[in-house]
Amino acid sequence: MSEKFEPTIIAFTCTWCGYPSASLAGVNKIQYPPNIRIVRVMCTGSVEPGVIMDAFEHGADGVIVIGCLMDNCHYVSGNKKAQERVDALKKLFDIMGLDSKRLRTEWINASERAKFAKTVSEFVEEVRKLGPLGLEKKKVKKQKTQEQVKKAVKQLIEDTGAFDCVECGKCTTVCPIAKYDTTFAPRTLVLKAMEGIVDNIATDKHIWTCSTCEQCNSMCPYKVDYTGFIRGMREEAAEFGAEPSCSQGGLIHSIQRIMANSDLKQKRLEWVKKDLKISDKGDVFYFVGCLPHYDAIFYDREGLKMNEIAESAVRIMNKAGVVPVVSSSEKCCGHDLNWTGDEDNFEKLMEHNVELVKKSGAKKVVFTCPECYRTFNNDYQALMGDLPFEMVHISDYINGLIESGSLQIDATSAKPYSFTYHDSCRLGRHSGVYDSPRTLAKGFAGAKFIEMENTRDKALCCGVSAWANCNANAKRMQIERVMEAKKVGADRMLMFCPKCQIHMKCAISEKMPVDQSAVDVKLEDFTVAMARLLKLLPEETSASK
Amino acid sequence: MIITRVLEEEGLNKYLVEQVNIREQCAWVHADKAEATKKAKSLVKGALARAEKLIPLEDIDIPITGKALVIGGGVTGMQAALDIAGQGFKVYLVERTAELGGRAYKLSMTFPTHNCGICCMQYCKECVFTPKIEDVLQNKNIELLLESEIQDITGGFGKRHVVVKTSKGPVDLDVGTIIVATGSKLFDPNRISELRYSNPDVVTTVEFEQLIVEQRERGGGLKRPSDGKTPKTINFIQCVGSRDKTKGNLHCSLVCCTYAIGQAREIKRMNPDANVYIHYIDLRGPYRGFEEFYQAAKEEGINFVRGRISEIVEDKGKVFVRALDTDADVLLNIESDLVVLAVGQEPSEGSDALAKMLHIQTDIDKFMKDINPMFPSEFRRGVYIAGTAQGPKGIRYSIEDAKAAAASAIELMKKGSIKFPRIVAFVDEERCRGCGRCEKACEYGAITVTKDEKRGVLVSRIDEIVCEGCGQCAVACCNKAITVNGYRPEQVEAMVRAITEDIQGVSSDE
Repeated sequence: MSEKFEPTIIAFTCTWCGYPSASLAGVNKIQYPPNIRIVRVMCTGSVEPGVIMDAFEHGADGVIVIGCLMDNCHYVSGNKKAQERVDALKKLFDIMGLDSKRLRTEWINASERAKFAKTVSEFVEEVRKLGPLGLEKKKVKKQKTQEQVKKAVKQLIEDTGAFDCVECGKCTTVCPIAKYDTTFAPRTLVLKAMEGIVDNIATDKHIWTCSTCEQCNSMCPYKVDYTGFIRGMREEAAEFGAEPSCSQGGLIHSIQRIMANSDLKQKRLEWVKKDLKISDKGDVFYFVGCLPHYDAIFYDREGLKMNEIAESAVRIMNKAGVVPVVSSSEKCCGHDLNWTGDEDNFEKLMEHNVELVKKSGAKKVVFTCPECYRTFNNDYQALMGDLPFEMVHISDYINGLIESGSLQIDATSAKPYSFTYHDSCRLGRHSGVYDSPRTLAKGFAGAKFIEMENTRDKALCCGVSAWANCNANAKRMQIERVMEAKKVGADRMLMFCPKCQIHMKCAISEKMPVDQSAVDVKLEDFTVAMARLLKLLPEETSASK
Repeated sequence: MIITRVLEEEGLNKYLVEQVNIREQCAWVHADKAEATKKAKSLVKGALARAEKLIPLEDIDIPITGKALVIGGGVTGMQAALDIAGQGFKVYLVERTAELGGRAYKLSMTFPTHNCGICCMQYCKECVFTPKIEDVLQNKNIELLLESEIQDITGGFGKRHVVVKTSKGPVDLDVGTIIVATGSKLFDPNRISELRYSNPDVVTTVEFEQLIVEQRERGGGLKRPSDGKTPKTINFIQCVGSRDKTKGNLHCSLVCCTYAIGQAREIKRMNPDANVYIHYIDLRGPYRGFEEFYQAAKEEGINFVRGRISEIVEDKGKVFVRALDTDADVLLNIESDLVVLAVGQEPSEGSDALAKMLHIQTDIDKFMKDINPMFPSEFRRGVYIAGTAQGPKGIRYSIEDAKAAAASAIELMKKGSIKFPRIVAFVDEERCRGCGRCEKACEYGAITVTKDEKRGVLVSRIDEIVCEGCGQCAVACCNKAITVNGYRPEQVEAMVRAITEDIQGVSSDE
């Protein structure tokens, strides 16, 4: 590129100060570079992180948020909140390998026309120096015709065995969503598709309502793959421009798409403490997943420390003498994109990750996250055939270490507590890992393991997957699950899936239709609990739930 | 807006409008015509994309309670109260001190009549105005609450619930409109140590006023505070606390020049032999009659010295004013019998708290801000700012403010209800999980999480009248169930995407 790089910068300006200051700069004919494109919002406090990320994803090289002076927000505190969010987003940028200088705020009074011009001029110069963002332009959809979609749906019905449906209704009876949302039924969805109704595929919200927990699959006497069907339907719906109504405003999916379409130098390993032993090459690859991102995204949620999961896993491995490969070049496994119909980007991530593991020379990949595990084990292998390495979930892996004598569970829980185990759908029903966690649980000396009423393949769902709609029904499921734990007298509920933890912790920390005492259970990650038991991680002092 | 009116006349929904500002954002700020055009095109594209996603809406019908609250019993507050009461509406007039009249009550040489403050009873032999205080006291529609302060204000447009702290305990009021006339306070010259305000013969303009009043009552000429001698040389120091970024305020207090000249002329009237100096940076009096006023002062022998004085020095019981006459470039050291500091104005005590209660934005100097600086009392959800609460200004201009605010309030209350744009938050109850984050984020108390008995779940409900449409709840929402009409994420996103459409990616598929 011989031509001088001209960045495009989106300026989100508030109605009361940011925008008027630009207008005044105009009236006074104060010159500034034309790279700035103003998008007016009511208040900077209403700028969604998801919308900012979306701007970058679609080609913005920089984003500046301009609002009223601090302590002088037209809406009292909007600018303070905006600053907080931008700061958090900058941390996320660091992890993703995006230069956080590309995102900034400025607080300008409506009358400060010169300050507006000066600020944006400086920002344009700064971003110009940083150069292009280096994102591949988002691909235009394949633009399938109605006929092609019809054909694809027909194929999908065949592939998922939906033709075998005998309309017994068992799936709907066990469906946790249908329990609360009477308009939703897995059976009806399949029926509708079989009748050839694909006209409203883009607007049919029920395609996105399903939590893909696979309760229906495990109950179906004819083994119809409902969740597979839903996944496929989403892919077709996405072709027609449907987007999942994401509970995080699209932020997480944006991050994953940016990962798929860039070669940014990520900084995923900030959680690795000095005394942890990790390696670039070796036999065992520990696939961390999105844990570091979650800590940055959910910065304002109390008691969420996702990085502790990764730390615990490495500490346990280190104790058994294993030095795992942990890579900063790892990308998202693509689970969320795969389950929201973005096949193209999912495949890009898949190819990258498989190549990364191959390069490390690892023969075994260990997962703490059930979603990553399922995605590698089921989805990658379905698309790429058998992978040249073994995939193991951490529960199986630790059991193996104990059996081989590399790891001794000789520790006793300092505080005798009773606990239960929540089968996450991706690990249980999707992958069939039920026994290993229980074998481990029984080895928790000094602590009492209790099963809940609904366990194993009947385990209740955490309410939402792939960050799709997390509404009141999802919340009911979340609360119901924690109440089950309380009912059997458990002090703690352990689980492997970080998302189950995020969802359930969220539900019981907010306003609830039930009494707080009914959900007074500490939710903890299983791997973290193990590390604490082995005295590899200190026990939390105040019970943060 | 003309466009919305045209749309309505043609039977189209007026919310389906999007505006692009290519004059201020392109033509006037980018000299490169080709680049400016390119940018204009992309902005138009963005607006089109957003327009496509706009949704037709209906206005909200808001009933307006026919009672008004006026905060502050100074000249502004009294005028507003009288105007509103005159139209038959009940007015509650809340005043912090024990008497009406505010600062203007104490002034006797106001511009341009060189006469008393319009509401004062003293020095009033030739007063042409009817004393306002009597009018207020006698008006049956005005309920006066003296020695009272605003404790809390809740509710929204058209119906606000006000709790007033009075000497007899709290009083609850329900009002439809509020006029904020809390005035200003004087700058404390102690903040500028080189002015030696601690010296008894260094006084502020308002204190000087008292000396004059005393002499009028007692006779026998003006007496200075330290020893009761008649001052012969008097220096006026302008811009005390004003136009001073380091020790005072950046703003010009606007009235001090005229006021000081008035006082200087009064001295000359009493004692034509007195030496009167006015030290100024710029003389500012952009009012009708000021030039004549100023010329008269010069003819009367008042010395105008351009330059900011460096300091006031106390030496052997005498006071010296050190200054540079910047016109003549001569250093001056004037022995002065009395120094008068023309102090500037600052927002009154507690005005910040009141601004917060009413969600009024304040300026850099903490004066309350009008929504549109060009239009006083421009429509603002039934809350109007008048007088010096909005910034320093003369009595005449405060009265104008009061009348404008009263007229707006009266218009609103006469109608009894108003159509208001539905640019407010909206809850998709199917998506809402009743978490309460929005409730916490809302600064206006417009959101409550209540139980939906039918579904047995918690759900967030919005009081559209209280909601100001800022959208802080929308970002706080953990399931994106709340959006602000007209600013839905998909509308903003569509705009951004269209604007960035032409950008070359690193490797494009096209």
